[in-house]
Amino acid sequence: MTTTVGLVVNPAAGRDIRRLTGGASVSNNYAKRRTAGCVLAGLTLCDDVEVLVMPDSSGLADRIVSDAPSELDVGFVDMPVTASGQDSRTAAAHFEEHADAVVVLGGDGTTRDVAHSIGDVPVVSISTGTNNVVPTPIDGTVAGEAAGLVATGLVPADEATIRHGTIVVDVERDTGTSTIHGLATVGVLDRAFIGTRAILDPEDIVGGVVSRASPAEIGLSGIAGGLVTHRPDDPGGVGFQLAREGASGTRVRGITVPGTLSDVQVADYQVLDDGEAYTFEVPRGVVSVDGEREHEVKDGVVRLRPVSDGPRLVQIDSVLERAANEGYFRD
Amino acid sequence: MLTIRSFDTKAGDLFADGELPGFVHLYVGEEAVGVGACSALEENDYITSTHRGHGHCIAKGLDPNVMMAELYGKAGGYCNGKGGSMHIADVDAGMLGANGIVGAGPPLATGAALTSVLKGEDTVALAFFGDGAVAQGQVHEAINIAATWNLPAIFVVENNQYGEATPVEKQHNVQNLSETAEAYNIPGFTVDGMDITAVYEAVKEARKRAANGEGPTFIEAETYRYHGHFEGDQQPYRTKEDVDIWKDRDAIETFKGRLVEAGVITEDEFDEMKAEIDQQIDDAVVEAKEAPYPDPSEAYEDMYSATVPEISQFSSQMRADGGEDR
Repeated sequence: MTTTVGLVVNPAAGRDIRRLTGGASVSNNYAKRRTAGCVLAGLTLCDDVEVLVMPDSSGLADRIVSDAPSELDVGFVDMPVTASGQDSRTAAAHFEEHADAVVVLGGDGTTRDVAHSIGDVPVVSISTGTNNVVPTPIDGTVAGEAAGLVATGLVPADEATIRHGTIVVDVERDTGTSTIHGLATVGVLDRAFIGTRAILDPEDIVGGVVSRASPAEIGLSGIAGGLVTHRPDDPGGVGFQLAREGASGTRVRGITVPGTLSDVQVADYQVLDDGEAYTFEVPRGVVSVDGEREHEVKDGVVRLRPVSDGPRLVQIDSVLERAANEGYFRD
Repeated sequence: MLTIRSFDTKAGDLFADGELPGFVHLYVGEEAVGVGACSALEENDYITSTHRGHGHCIAKGLDPNVMMAELYGKAGGYCNGKGGSMHIADVDAGMLGANGIVGAGPPLATGAALTSVLKGEDTVALAFFGDGAVAQGQVHEAINIAATWNLPAIFVVENNQYGEATPVEKQHNVQNLSETAEAYNIPGFTVDGMDITAVYEAVKEARKRAANGEGPTFIEAETYRYHGHFEGDQQPYRTKEDVDIWKDRDAIETFKGRLVEAGVITEDEFDEMKAEIDQQIDDAVVEAKEAPYPDPSEAYEDMYSATVPEISQFSSQMRADGGEDR
């Protein structure tokens, strides 16, 4: 029986202003193509695997398919291309029905776009974006092997994936409530506009909720991680609010963007249960989602709830170690 | 942005009516790039422009009345009526010229940035150029030397998706034109050119960097021109639906929506402002139509800063021949 693996490569990831304002590295499309080629090579580890690639308008997917290993059956998802984040969501919705595993090359934003439409299909997320919290910086060949082993069932998905949390954002205003979704981090910023989307100045951060917290991470999850460790598959999350305008609080040192160590004063933090809300009253500000300014708010209440309904993320090392322990790599 | 939209929409109408001499290339749809970028500059900073330059001129503070006179070829225009749409310049305002040559702006900006360093000034030079120009040799030379000499320059690519009739993906082997910055070892990134706040913030950061002596920055602003490459372009290379996708993200409408939402402006105030601007442009047209043409005896003036004997000779001869006839 043929196994299907989906491949989402975001051509736009890794090109924003953080190449100027932070120490973020550049991820060009040549590098993405090479990484995707490695993923496909890794997938040849398993037999009878077909790969469906998300199409794009840049020619990136075309080249990935045309350069694919001959022993692999590689084609495109039949879908409209909008050259926006919608493409990742559309492809994920297709993969929820038709794929046994999905490999995502992008950042937190791309992984989030896939996560919200992918259902229970296991996701291998590789970092090509900026300041990433969720995706793993790992060689594509290794990731491809892991995706193949899980997709074919040689390593059971239940034993090699974790369920990542998410964050539901309700923005309540006199005119009504709008809801958006985050994966790892949602912040409230003291900025009027979305602008270049990047979080440029740590002093803009009012607070936020994270579904994971570790001092080894960058951005809001790193700040929260200076207070308490919260694993990605722990239920609930961490909410925190920074002290404003010289007020005192608990001093936390965190990495806000690559290359920048910041001292922040935390006025309040709470470990939140699954579904428990942490609320901000926002006269004027911006909600950031997974590291990008996303939603402008005027005179609103922003209610953030960590929810344990995220994607099943493949633990790459666990998959390969388990396969090795079962002798898969030996004669 | 409204002034640019009104000016260029009117220019398109006037050209269609046969009112304007020469060609016009309109900036409608791309307003957020010019306005966002120029708003982030200081008054003494320099810009260079392109054949699609009306928006850059207005964003840098040039007078639409004087610009309209130039489009009509009248003596009161920025080039005394002798330049037309593609050559409007006002050095005193830091506008070093629209330019009929694709990719000719960046070398001027590099020169202006070098001048700033040599004179010990704190000005920055910003070059606007199009996606097609990115493949021009002189653009490469200009960015390379600005990067190598660490000059206070900002290179802003207005990626409006087409070099004349050729889609950007058929011109370049990179998805994001900002990737080309890596060749010069300078920062390059891409912003939403339909969002004035994104362009403003990007150029503000780039200017800060340039002024701090950290060298040039390469910014790609993704945008779209609603009109053809030139007025009269039949645009067989795209469909109405292609254009509508971008019009749905129109920079003026979306920014207005955000300002109304934030309570900064009301719909009525916006309409009132737009009506005032449209009237200003209508008045500029009336004024330009009634204004005099340059005197034929001035035909050989304003060409070189130094006296050129051959030109003086032609000029004298024409006057002697009674060259008032046009």
